[in-house]
Amino acid sequence: MKWSETTSPAARRRLLASLAVLGVVLLHPSLSHAYAGPGAGFAVLSSFWTLFVAFLYSVYAFFAWPFRQLFRLLRRRKAYGKAQIKRAIILGFDGMDPELTERFIAEGKLPNLASLRERGTFRKLQTTFPPISPVAWSTFMTGVNPGKHNIYDFLARDLSNYLPYLSSAEIKGPKRSWKIGKYTIPLGGPRIKGMRRGIPFWHWLGEAGIFCSVIRVPVTFPPEKFSGVLLSGMCVPDLKGSQGTFCLCTTRLPTEKFREGGVRVPIERHRSSCSSYVPGPENPLTGGSGDELRVNFEIQLDNRNQARFTVDSQTFTLKVGDYSEWIPVKFRAGVGFSAHGICRFYLKELSPEVEVYVTPVNIDPGKPDLPISHPVTYSIYLAKLFGPYATLGLAEDTWALNEEVLDDQAFLAQCYANHGDRERMLFDALEKTRQGLCACVFDTTDRVQHMFWRYLDEDHPAARDVPRDQRPSVIQELYSRMDKLIGRVMEQIDDKTLLMIVSDHGFKSFARCVNLNAWLHQNGYLALKSGKTESGDWFDDVDWSRTRAYTMGLNGLYLNLKGREREGIIEPGADADALKDELGRKLDGLVDPASGRAGITGVFDCDSVYAGPYVDNAPDLIVGYGDGFRASWDSVMGKVTSQIFEDNLKAWSGDHCIDPRLVPGVLFCNRKISAEKPAIVDVAPTVLKLFGLALPVHLDGKPWTVAPSTAP
Amino acid sequence: MGSGTSSSVASPLSAPRGSLGVNVPAAIVVGISLVIGLLMVVVFRYTSDQKAIHVAKDRLKAHLLALRLFQDQIPVVLRSYVRIVLATGRYLRLAFKPLLFVIVPLTFLIVQLDRYLGSMPVAAGQPFLVKVRLDNPNTLNEASLQLPDGLLTTASAVHVPSESEVVWRVVAEKPGEYKVNVQSADQTFSKRVVVGAGLSRLSPVRLRGKFWERIFVSGEPALPKNNPIESIDVQYPARNIAFAGFEWNWIWLFFVLSLAAGFLFKSILGIEI
Repeated sequence: MKWSETTSPAARRRLLASLAVLGVVLLHPSLSHAYAGPGAGFAVLSSFWTLFVAFLYSVYAFFAWPFRQLFRLLRRRKAYGKAQIKRAIILGFDGMDPELTERFIAEGKLPNLASLRERGTFRKLQTTFPPISPVAWSTFMTGVNPGKHNIYDFLARDLSNYLPYLSSAEIKGPKRSWKIGKYTIPLGGPRIKGMRRGIPFWHWLGEAGIFCSVIRVPVTFPPEKFSGVLLSGMCVPDLKGSQGTFCLCTTRLPTEKFREGGVRVPIERHRSSCSSYVPGPENPLTGGSGDELRVNFEIQLDNRNQARFTVDSQTFTLKVGDYSEWIPVKFRAGVGFSAHGICRFYLKELSPEVEVYVTPVNIDPGKPDLPISHPVTYSIYLAKLFGPYATLGLAEDTWALNEEVLDDQAFLAQCYANHGDRERMLFDALEKTRQGLCACVFDTTDRVQHMFWRYLDEDHPAARDVPRDQRPSVIQELYSRMDKLIGRVMEQIDDKTLLMIVSDHGFKSFARCVNLNAWLHQNGYLALKSGKTESGDWFDDVDWSRTRAYTMGLNGLYLNLKGREREGIIEPGADADALKDELGRKLDGLVDPASGRAGITGVFDCDSVYAGPYVDNAPDLIVGYGDGFRASWDSVMGKVTSQIFEDNLKAWSGDHCIDPRLVPGVLFCNRKISAEKPAIVDVAPTVLKLFGLALPVHLDGKPWTVAPSTAP
Repeated sequence: MGSGTSSSVASPLSAPRGSLGVNVPAAIVVGISLVIGLLMVVVFRYTSDQKAIHVAKDRLKAHLLALRLFQDQIPVVLRSYVRIVLATGRYLRLAFKPLLFVIVPLTFLIVQLDRYLGSMPVAAGQPFLVKVRLDNPNTLNEASLQLPDGLLTTASAVHVPSESEVVWRVVAEKPGEYKVNVQSADQTFSKRVVVGAGLSRLSPVRLRGKFWERIFVSGEPALPKNNPIESIDVQYPARNIAFAGFEWNWIWLFFVLSLAAGFLFKSILGIEI
């Protein structure tokens, strides 16, 4: 249909007249009418500015280019001169399990991984003691055992008070502050200290002039300087400084507190609206008084199924069951003091009660208040290119699903939204890194398996109510999705590119909980204060003067050693060795009376599995739980209960923090690899060798022999 | 000579500085800049795709950052340059859509303001030029100038055949609004001349035809179609406005101040430009 047929003559005349006026105005510019207001002025100015900056940079780059090229040539001669590969792509799929992978390949569900296995390599990859992500990925990047990189668990213990702290990074307030009355003015930013030791292999590559893009590899917070770009992953805190604190805003009366990971906030009802707030970090100006910063929001109830949110000055509409996009929130402490975060809102319910779930407030990648990338502009670059994205280390809110604040679908939607962002980052990094290293870790595999293993395990106590024929095949779909991603990456590689797919550990069911503190108590190794039969969290009511051993975290068992722990009673040396032997003998093969199966299949002396300058910080024993078992939720938090074994009824139903021999990771490669027992510690030396670099002598891993080219 | 008319120029704005010593032209420009700055960002807010502009600007910044982040990857840098140009184009396209809504009214507003603020009336005793352009350079001799009382020619008419122009040098004895008459081929046409100080609505030229040009530069009725005179031009001196220690052409001052106002209001109102 022609335009003239659909438009009235009068409208056509008006339009033509307008166009004529516009044309004349544009075609007959003079000083007085060349400028048409600040909108156009801004547009022209900022475009000019952009091009001017680009031009200036070009001039700088042009003159600096010969020197940089010379410098690069000198450095790169060391690397690419002996390199067997032009590019290495390492895709980390946290927790990808070799047995499940084989099963799905056999069922024809993973064609790309099947192709890699056929043409290249598929092996089980030995993990670390213990098989926990921060430990294993630290070993992956440094090529050394935990005794040299100092990461043994998510948590470490403070020897002066038996309390836990995050093992990977320490965040403190500014060094100096200025006190004015009740206010404290911080002079400077927070102090962040990385606790992981050892040098990541991309540092050596960068030294040799090989560019590296490293995305979301765990335990890379705070980011370290090197020649390349890096976005930190697991262990990046949220804006509150925690590892992820969600918020449930609700009109329901408060019930018991969440076990961990979340807070309840009341929603106040007004006539046709509700109001609540997002809790933020502590007010830095009130000097540790616990004063919490908040961002208020309002909810206008459109109908029973839809509501309009106003957060700061932003307005958006959500239906029940919908997530918002990432919403920037600014917590204002005072003039010049504010913290920038982003969070997503999920409308759970509007009637009869109103409930809104708010994700942990992530550090805003576009305005990072803490460094989450190297250089700091890299996180900003990604935010500008793709929009805001999750920056929290453990971005998938497993606690919210565990606490039944989110349901399966809402949790999965959150996981795959984050995963989508990571995929975009990966493909951008691949485009930017035609030569060098591109390493990206996806943690969706870990989180989804943790939370949905109950549907895979026929007898899992957390899914007893779900008929077997109604159990969703979430994990199989997860693996298929990862396979498709691998297929898309494979389309981008050539003969000079090494593609390696690794996981840090596998997965098993977590159906039964073992409270090792309860066992220690019942067997006389841990004493409670008089009259107590159970302790609170973090050893509240433990009598340290009579306690010989204790456990906290996932796999570590500690002696209460004299001269080391504040109230230690075990003499170092022969007494300590004897106690370790005794505990090892008694715990190894510990049987679960309910099933008759071994809850513990190995206890490992740290002196035999670790070597290095930081062994003193290691647990004295590493406990390897059996298939189907794991440390109980209470035991992890240093709590003594009366039950040693109990069912795990939480959605967090799969785990890997068990006997490392039971949960190897996977290794796929597009080239044939010859290695007797490939281990995750070997990845770093192998990549260094493939790029033709000499191996640092302190590495524990051994480089594999990799075929010179991809098999046809 | 002596057949023209004259009247005195009297308006509240007739003095360059008002009774309170305020720099009136500067105050007008400041006031108008603030109002236009506010109005335009509000119009921009409601006529633009704010989200798309935000995304386009962010992409542009991302490609600029890429230049620095991947400076040793020559192909990446080259691709980034291409993307910067493309992203700039996209941003300009989005930013200029609101321009379609404001360009016509704003242009006419600026034209009207330019009549008051672009030039100054001729000062009494200060010679100025009256130029007449004719169709036929051979008829320059036929053109004559008739001045009202208070205006005098200070030199003989100068003929410029190459430009088909006759130029008279004129001086005013006292402030006022005058009408000078130009005669050619038995037809007489008048042109308004303002002498004095302060703000007056000035029309530097009276034109025959040229509708669009007349809209932008002339404030007087068109000369009849079938007459030999193409234009009558009075050369008013350009007005400079003292502001912040500088002498400004009003449009530059308006440009700077309205941008500043726009920037202020866009930040206050959270509008993406």
